Amino acid sequence: MSEKTVLLQDTTAGSTTGTSDFFGVFKAALRESDLADNVRLVRVADMGVYNQGVVMTILPENITYANVEAHDIKRIIGVTLKHGNPVKDLLYQPKFRQMRLVLKNCGRLDPGSIDDYIAADGYRALLKAVEQKTPDEVIAELKASGLRGRGGGGYSTGLKWQFTREAAGELKYVICNADEGDPGAYMDRSVLEGNPHSVIEGMLLAGYAIGSSQGFFYIRAEYPLAIERVQKALDQARERGLLGNHILGSDFSMDIEIRLGAGAFVCGEETALIASIEGKRGTPVPRPPYPSVRGLWGMPTCINNVETLANVAPILLHGADWFAGIGTQTSKGTKVFALTGKVRNSGLVEVPMGTTLREIVFDIGGGIASGRAFKAVQTGGPSGGVIPEKYLDTPVDYDNLQKLGSIMGSGGMIVMDECDCMVDIAKFYIKFCVDESCGKCAPCRIGGYQILNILEGITQGRGTLQDLDRLILIARAMKMGSLCGLGQTAANPVISTLAYFEDEYREHIVNRRCPARKCRALLEFNIIRHLCKKCGLCARACPEKAITGDREHGYSIDTEKCIHCGVCFDVCKFSAVERI
Amino acid sequence: MEAVSLERAESIVAKWKNKKGNLIMILHDVQDAFGYIPEHVARRISRLLDIPLARIYEVLTFYHYFKLNQPGKYKIAVCMGTACYLKGSPEILEELKTILHVEEGATTSDGLFYIECVRCLGCCGLAPVMAVNGTIYGNLKKGDVVDIISRYSKEG
Amino acid sequence: MAALTGNDFDAIKAKVQGGAKNWIKVGMSTCGIAAGAGKTYRVLEDELSKQGHPVSLLTCGCLGMCYAEPLVEVCIEGLPRVVYCRVSEECAREIVRGHVMGRKLLQDYILAMHYEEAFS
Repeated sequence: MSEKTVLLQDTTAGSTTGTSDFFGVFKAALRESDLADNVRLVRVADMGVYNQGVVMTILPENITYANVEAHDIKRIIGVTLKHGNPVKDLLYQPKFRQMRLVLKNCGRLDPGSIDDYIAADGYRALLKAVEQKTPDEVIAELKASGLRGRGGGGYSTGLKWQFTREAAGELKYVICNADEGDPGAYMDRSVLEGNPHSVIEGMLLAGYAIGSSQGFFYIRAEYPLAIERVQKALDQARERGLLGNHILGSDFSMDIEIRLGAGAFVCGEETALIASIEGKRGTPVPRPPYPSVRGLWGMPTCINNVETLANVAPILLHGADWFAGIGTQTSKGTKVFALTGKVRNSGLVEVPMGTTLREIVFDIGGGIASGRAFKAVQTGGPSGGVIPEKYLDTPVDYDNLQKLGSIMGSGGMIVMDECDCMVDIAKFYIKFCVDESCGKCAPCRIGGYQILNILEGITQGRGTLQDLDRLILIARAMKMGSLCGLGQTAANPVISTLAYFEDEYREHIVNRRCPARKCRALLEFNIIRHLCKKCGLCARACPEKAITGDREHGYSIDTEKCIHCGVCFDVCKFSAVERI
Repeated sequence: MEAVSLERAESIVAKWKNKKGNLIMILHDVQDAFGYIPEHVARRISRLLDIPLARIYEVLTFYHYFKLNQPGKYKIAVCMGTACYLKGSPEILEELKTILHVEEGATTSDGLFYIECVRCLGCCGLAPVMAVNGTIYGNLKKGDVVDIISRYSKEG
Repeated sequence: MAALTGNDFDAIKAKVQGGAKNWIKVGMSTCGIAAGAGKTYRVLEDELSKQGHPVSLLTCGCLGMCYAEPLVEVCIEGLPRVVYCRVSEECAREIVRGHVMGRKLLQDYILAMHYEEAFS
């Protein structure tokens, strides 16, 4: 018989079967069946399947079993290992999987090799376009695919291209927005570092479609490796005639250059980004006119995000119907999320639109790392909102997230557990927006600052119930009155935390308590007598000498002197300091 | 010293001279070369590009990335992205400030360390993270900070 | 280098696919490097040259599994292609000695990945 491999996730320690060494039992059974030399039994670090007991995959058949018990081993050996047939009642079909379209070649290709990309069918969509399609046909294909901007707005990419094509202008520009400003999202960095050519191809296709001859990458200066790899990819493309005149022997000519961002979140806004490329302060201007009509240096300009552009070549290569077949009614294709925070498996996940939050957080992400209770997931970064547990079964797409008071944004997905205070989170985001506000319009500049002050007061124990009404009032004013997207959405985290976690705000205000034990000013510290080993570490560490006592009688905290710094809690090795 | 830096600035400006909207790219190159934007260099750029000095400072002060003062030899960037914040980067920052006796945005008196907070280093999977001159340290605990700092201070 | 034309695509594909049969790929993106992928790469390079086995050592971008970095994918003819996670210096040496030379999959380091490609 041929050689087989069994990949085993042994989770038996402490399980109901009473077997604490499934691996050993399996190994012994193989020996008994004289298969020890033909079967490789390998314990894996992570199978990516959670809460399913012992899981194993048998290669080369690629059969996966879950919830395997010791008494199943005989059948697995007899049926699968000896004869290559599946044991049907043990089969595990992952209900869904990640689907990789944008990330497909990230982590597969050498980003420094254009040949690697070409061998993976790279630049074939461009070839197909310049040889067989008119620019209008390319735009029609994009429109039919239903691709919407992945940077936050969710506007139809095809329409954007069409408007830029139709606008009058002697020059037109394509800009790739790689100023990934959402703190907690990094899929664009990953794509630029892992597969820069896929974005370049998307830009070339955009250029071909709208009739542009010049493109710009606008990349965050904080991403030096991404800049280096994009520059190298551009050089290679130029060397191969994929940039420059008469690309692939056609009449289409285009070049692309890099411009660096300089750390301004507002530059994610289209008009501010344009100002920044022009070498000016990145302050937004009112729209319309939209950049597609009057953009960079007054010329029609098409701005697309990295992930959007990475979707373009596959669409043109495989057709609009194929792409439109993935996802939901209103949101087509896949979305990459940066799943981070308190989740077990932090990383990038790419799923078809319409996958539920629960599937993303628990099935792919493996749930909460510490075993604590899930509290909320935040999407859309500083412009988004939190989503509590009861909505976890919502299929993720642009419209559903909006209905829940959040947004898709660029795809940051931050998981929070019971130790995260929602008032503190709201404060964190609003602080971000206050720092990042360009200061041009009053609602954003002043409103954000006022909200921050009120939230600061609540977390310090100075809040009143009228503050809650004031927050909503200011938030509404910011939404209606701000000039650009940053200000209009800046209060979203406040509105959504207040909508779903008002109790937590009230607890801070009425009872001066922080249920998550995060807001230090509201915490009281106490030494639990029976746990205290009287080591005195806390007393030595206390900066205010608020802990008194001695090694014979134990220690206690003088609440009058205590400044709630929490050092005693941090240093105690016996968990004898409690926070109330 | 000043003459050398002006010469360098001139070659940077020459490289970008014919590009539209070149100011920010010039400032990036200058900061790469000197670690910050020295005033005399800004004045020279103003003359070379024939734009008012105020225009240059308007841009410099708008963007977080540009520095007007010479930072320390080791630039410590503490990530304050959401993931890092949730996982304790404020405590990392506090610890740094306590160890180095310096506030964020400032340099230690021996000129060795400069602390700043940054938006997101894009390593959320390793949160909380900080970077020292671009070398990233992830999965930090408060106790790790002393070790990392002492490694650099030993080198001087 | 000459400008690319439509005829070159297949030739490049054939050349790349006909390349090395035995290879080791190290994920070298910002997150991987931060987790120590640079060190992992150097150790692999050193150990491979010591053992003198003709294996191509390649770099690639990020698979997206930041929690498991550094990631190393190993393809040796006749063995299943696997991804090792959290590849420490010790593990990197073991990959060369145990997997490449000894033709045995390492215990406790394999990361199974569950996703399908949206097209092939």
